[in-house]
Amino acid sequence: MAFTRPPVRLPAHVALVGVVLVALTGCERRRGCAGDYCGTLVFAAAGEPDILLPPVTQQQYALDIFGQVFLKLADLGLSQNTIGDEDFQPRLAQRWEWDDPLTLVFHLDPRARWQDGQSVTAADVAFTFDIYTDSLVNSPFRSSLRTISAVTTRDSLTAVFRFHARYPEMFYDAVNHMHILPAHLLRPVPRSQWRSAAFGRAPVGDGPYRFVVWKAGESVELTADSTFFLGRPHIRRLIWRFTPNLQVAVTQVIAGDADAVEVLGPPDNVKRAQVAANLALYPYRGELYGFLAFNLSTNGDTTKPHPLFGDRQLRRALAMAVDREGLRKSVWGDLAQVPPGPLARLWSIWDPETRQLPYDTAQAARMLTWLGWRDSNGDGIRDRDGQPLAFRILVPTTSALRRQYAVLLQEQFRRIGADVQLDEVEFGVFDGRTQAGRFDAAVIARQADPTPTSSLPQVWTTAGRSNAGRYASPVFDRLVDQASAAPRRDAAKALWRRAIETLNQDAPAVFLYAPDNVAAVNRRVTDVVIRPDDYWALVRTWRIPADQLTDRDRAEP
Amino acid sequence: MTAWLVRRLAAAIAIVFAVVTITFVLIHLAPGTPFGADEQHQQDPEVIARLVRQFGLDQPLPVQYVLYLRNLLRGELGQSFSQHRPVADAIADTIPPTLTLAGAALVVDFAIGLALGVYQAVRPRRFGDIVLGNVALFFHSLPTFWLGLVLLLVFGQWLHVFPVGGMRDPVLCPSVTSARCLGDVVWHLALPALTLGLVGAAGTARYQRAAMLEVVGEDYVRTARAKGLGERRVLLVHALRNALLPFITLIGLAFPFLLTGAVLVETVFAWPGMGRLSVGAIFQRDYPLVTGAALVATGAVVLGSVLADVLYAVADPRLRAPGGAR
Amino acid sequence: MTVWTWLALAGAIVVALVAAAQVRRHAAARAAGRRFLRHPTASLGVFILAFFVTLALAAPLVAPYDPTRQLDPVHLQNQPPSLRFLLGTDVYGRDVWSRLVYGARLSLGIGTLAMLVAVTVGAGVGALAGYFRHWLDAILMRGVDVGLAVPRIFVLLMAVALWERLPLAALVLLIGLTGWFVTSRLVRAEVLSLREREFVAAAQAVGAGPTRVIFRHVLPNAAAPIIVSAALGIGNVILLEAGLSFLGIGVPSPLPSWGSMIHDGWQWIVAAPWTSGFPGLAIAFVVMALNAVGDGLRDALDPRDTLDPRKEGT
Repeated sequence: MAFTRPPVRLPAHVALVGVVLVALTGCERRRGCAGDYCGTLVFAAAGEPDILLPPVTQQQYALDIFGQVFLKLADLGLSQNTIGDEDFQPRLAQRWEWDDPLTLVFHLDPRARWQDGQSVTAADVAFTFDIYTDSLVNSPFRSSLRTISAVTTRDSLTAVFRFHARYPEMFYDAVNHMHILPAHLLRPVPRSQWRSAAFGRAPVGDGPYRFVVWKAGESVELTADSTFFLGRPHIRRLIWRFTPNLQVAVTQVIAGDADAVEVLGPPDNVKRAQVAANLALYPYRGELYGFLAFNLSTNGDTTKPHPLFGDRQLRRALAMAVDREGLRKSVWGDLAQVPPGPLARLWSIWDPETRQLPYDTAQAARMLTWLGWRDSNGDGIRDRDGQPLAFRILVPTTSALRRQYAVLLQEQFRRIGADVQLDEVEFGVFDGRTQAGRFDAAVIARQADPTPTSSLPQVWTTAGRSNAGRYASPVFDRLVDQASAAPRRDAAKALWRRAIETLNQDAPAVFLYAPDNVAAVNRRVTDVVIRPDDYWALVRTWRIPADQLTDRDRAEP
Repeated sequence: MTAWLVRRLAAAIAIVFAVVTITFVLIHLAPGTPFGADEQHQQDPEVIARLVRQFGLDQPLPVQYVLYLRNLLRGELGQSFSQHRPVADAIADTIPPTLTLAGAALVVDFAIGLALGVYQAVRPRRFGDIVLGNVALFFHSLPTFWLGLVLLLVFGQWLHVFPVGGMRDPVLCPSVTSARCLGDVVWHLALPALTLGLVGAAGTARYQRAAMLEVVGEDYVRTARAKGLGERRVLLVHALRNALLPFITLIGLAFPFLLTGAVLVETVFAWPGMGRLSVGAIFQRDYPLVTGAALVATGAVVLGSVLADVLYAVADPRLRAPGGAR
Repeated sequence: MTVWTWLALAGAIVVALVAAAQVRRHAAARAAGRRFLRHPTASLGVFILAFFVTLALAAPLVAPYDPTRQLDPVHLQNQPPSLRFLLGTDVYGRDVWSRLVYGARLSLGIGTLAMLVAVTVGAGVGALAGYFRHWLDAILMRGVDVGLAVPRIFVLLMAVALWERLPLAALVLLIGLTGWFVTSRLVRAEVLSLREREFVAAAQAVGAGPTRVIFRHVLPNAAAPIIVSAALGIGNVILLEAGLSFLGIGVPSPLPSWGSMIHDGWQWIVAAPWTSGFPGLAIAFVVMALNAVGDGLRDALDPRDTLDPRKEGT
C-alpha cells in the first residue's frame, strides 16, 4: 500500500527514508488487528439508554445493546412469521417440543455459558420468568406474559412452560419477550431495587458480545466473545455513540465518524445519505406507527369522561379536519404512508381498503356547529356555553418529527376553530404522562411488535397496559380476541379489519404516519441483513472483509 | 488577612447553605410528586408508597428537610431517577469534561481577549481600535448557543473539518492515554471551546482595553513617560502590569460563567459535561440530580469568587495591610 | 412581498434614520451628549434600535403574511430567500420575514418588561439598603449575594420545568425577578454616597419622611447606574429568552419570538440555514445596539464607572 506506483529509481537517501517508512507502517500494521475477525462497527444513536436491564426498560437503544449481550430462547426468523414455531431460530434453546398442547419444553444448548464462565441453566430461565412477571419489578413486558401460567425446571438443561390456553402465537409469547438473565448474579438484588441495580450499568450476559464500558453521555462499547457457542462474531467491536438528535447521528454516519444508523427518518436525511459515497442504504418495512391520541378520560380516571374528548362526535369531527395526506407529504415525503388505522407497515394485516373517516373540513365544521361549538365572539375560536374549544397536545421534545407534527396539527385545528397549545416535555415525562392518562391529546409513536396480536390489544383494548387514551369498546375488544384466536390467517385478517374499522369509526385517535424505514450502513460492511422487528439482531453475522479494513477497524481498544 | 479569609469562607458556606435550602423549597413547592420522571414504571400504588417512605416524602416538610441536610452532610446526594445510579456518580462523571472545556475556553478567552485589548489600547480611537471594538462587541452580543450552531454548521456539517459533537472518538481513542488521543480530544474540543472562548474574549478585550486606558492616565505612567521611556515600553510594561491586577478577579468570575454558560453550548455540542447533565435532569424531573447539580454549580461559583478575592488580596499589597482588607 | 410591504419597510428605515439623526442633533448640544456620541457605535446603535422598534410597532404593515399561518407546508416548506419570501420560509411553510418582524414585538417586549421589573426591584432594594443601612442593608445584601451565587439560567430552567405551562407573563416576571441583583448593588453604592450629601440632609432637616427623601431626592440623582443597567439588561434578557426558547421552554408555539424561531429551525439548519440564521442575527444586532447605547450612556452619564465584562450564561 505504501508503493503502488510503478517503481522508479530513487536516490539512496530517499530510498532509505522509504524503507524506514515502510518498516514503520509495517510495525503499525502488525500491532493492529488483521484477518477475518477484526472490524469495528459504530452505531450512531439519537439517544442514550437509561439502564441496560430489559425487564425494567423499554428504551430502544437499551434493547438494541442488550440484544447483543443477552440471548432469547429462540429468535424470530427473517420471514417474520409469528404463528406456530416452525420459523423460529434456535438460540439459547437447542430444540423444543410440545408435551401436550399447553406444555412447551425447551432443551437448552449445553454449550451456552455466562460470560463469567458459569453454565446457563434451566434455573436461569425460571428465574427470568419470575422477574419479568414480578409486580415489584413491574416490567413493561409483564402483560405480554400473562398467558403463561408457570415456568419450571425439569433438569438443569430443561425448562417447561405451561400455558393457560391454546392460541396461534403461544410460542412467540414464550420466547420473544424475555432475554434470559443470569440468576446467580441477579438473585441477590432485592426486587424493589432493580431499577438501580449496578448490574444494569455493567451487564454480564451470554450473547455474542460482552459488555466493555459505558461512558455516560458518550458511548457504550461491546466486544465480541470469541468463544460464543453459536459461532464467533466477525465484527470485533460494537460501539454505540450517543448523539443529541437524529440529524447529528446521520451527519456522523456520513462523515465516517459512525458506521450505521437504523433509521434515517425524514426525506432530508435520506437525501443526504443517498449522495454519500461511503454509505449503502437498506430499506425495510417499518415497525412503527404514529398518531394523535385523544384522551377519552379525565386524568386517566375512566369513570370520568374527558370534557371534550369523551364526546365521540367531537372526536370524529376533529379527526375529519386533519389533512393526514398533506401532513405526511410535508413531513415524510414518500417515506411513509398514512396508516388506515393503528397499523405498522410491517404487519401482514395492513389493508389499504380498511374503512376510515374521510378528510372533509366542511363536514367537520358542520358537525362542530351541530354539536353547539360556534364562534360566538368572533375571535376565530369556537365556543359552547362560554367555554372555548381549546385543548393541549402533549409532545416529547426529544422527537423533532413528532414536534413537527404537533405544530402542523396546531394549525390544522386552528383553521377549524379550535385553540390548541403544545406541551413540550422530555421523553421520560411524556411517557409517564401518557401512561398515567394525564393529557388532553398526545402525539404518540408506537414501536410495534412484529405481530398485531400482542401490540394491538396492549395499546387499544380496555385492559391494554399502554392504552394511553383509555379507549374502551367491548365490540372492538371482542373482535380483537377473536382475531387473535383465529387459527387461519385469512380468517384472522378479516377479523382484524373489522376490529380496526370499528375503532376508526370511534376516532380515539388520528392515525398520522407509518414509515418505511431506511437504514444506512457503511459500504465496507458486507453480509448486512436487517430484520425489521429488531434491526441489529443479526449483526454477529455481518462482516468487514480483510481488504476493506481501515485504521478504525484495526485499532486496538 | 486570616480573619478576613475566615469571614469570607463563612459567608461562602452560608451562601451555599441558603442555595441548598432554596432549591429544596422550590422543588417541594412545585406541583406533582418528585417521582414524576419514573412514573411510567411506578404505576403500582404499592411501589410508589414504598419509594415515598424510602425518601421520607410522607413526613412533614421540616423533617424531610432535616433528613435531606443530614444526607448532604454525609455526602449522600441520593439516587438519580433517570440514570438509575447515585447522583454523586452521575455528577462525578461530568466534572472532568466540564473542566476540560472550561479550561480550554479560558485559554482561548484570555489569549484572544488580552491580545485584542492591549492592541486596541495601544492605538485608542484609531481605525483598528474601532473596527476591532465593534467586532468584539458583535461577538459579545451573540447568543452563545447560536454561535455554536453556526460554527457547527460551517465547520462540522459543510466543511467536515471538525466533528459534529462529542468529546472523543470512541473507536480510536476510548480513553486519553496516547498523544494521538490527546490530539483527538483537542480536535473535538476546538469548536465548543472556540464558541465559549470567542464570546468571552470579546468581553475580556473590552475590559482589558478600558483598564489599560484608565491606567495610562495615572501618575506613575506619566512619570515613566517623563523619564523618557519609549511609548511602547511604557504601555506594555507599566500600564499592562497594573491593568492586569483587576484581571485576576476576572479569572474567578469567568470560572462560573464557563461552568454555567456552558449549559447550552454543551447541549449543542453533545459535550458530556455538567451543563448537559443539568438540562437533562431538569427536563426529566430528576429532582435528586437537579439539587445535586445546583449544589455543585453554586459551590463552584462561590469558590470561584473566594478564590478571586484571595488572589486579589495576594496580588495587591494595599489589601494586605492591616485594616486594608474589606 | 407586495409593493406596500416594500414601501412600509422603506418607511421603517426612514423613520429609524430620522430618529437617529434627531438623537444626534439633541446630543450634540450637550456635554454629556457629546460624550455619548464619542462612543463609536452609539449612533449606529440608536439607528438599529429605532429600526427594530419601528418594525415591531408597524408589524402589520411590514409583514406580508400572518406570522403563524402555514402557507403551504407541502410545497412552500424551507424555501430559500427570494423576492416573494424576503428571508425564505421555514419547515412549516411560514414566512420567516413576517415571523422576524412579529418576533421583534415579542423579543423586545419581553426584554423591556422583564428589564422594568428587574430595574424597579433592583433600584428599590438598592435604595432601601443604601438609605437605611445597618441590619436592613446587611440582610438585603446577603440576599443579593445568594442571588448572585446561583446561576440565573439554572433558576429559570428549574422554575420553568417545575411549573410547566408557565404563562408568558409569569416567565417575564421570573426573568425580571432573577435579574435585579447587580442593579441593586450599583444603586446601593450610589445611594450610600448620596445620603451624605447636603441636599439630602437639607430635605431631612425640613422634615421630609424617608419615602419622600428616597423618591424625590435620592433616586433621581442615582439615575445614571439605573439607566445604564437598564439598557444592558434588555440585551441580557433577550439573550436569556433566546436560550430558554431554544431549549423549548420559552415562548410557546406558534408564537414567533426570535429564540423560538431558532428552536423551530435548528433541526433543519443544514437544509434551511436561513430559518435559524436570521433570527440569530437579529438578536445579535439588537443586543449589540443595546450594548453600544448602554456603553455610550455610561460614558455620558457616569464616566467613572468601568464595565462589567461578563454576561449571563446563555
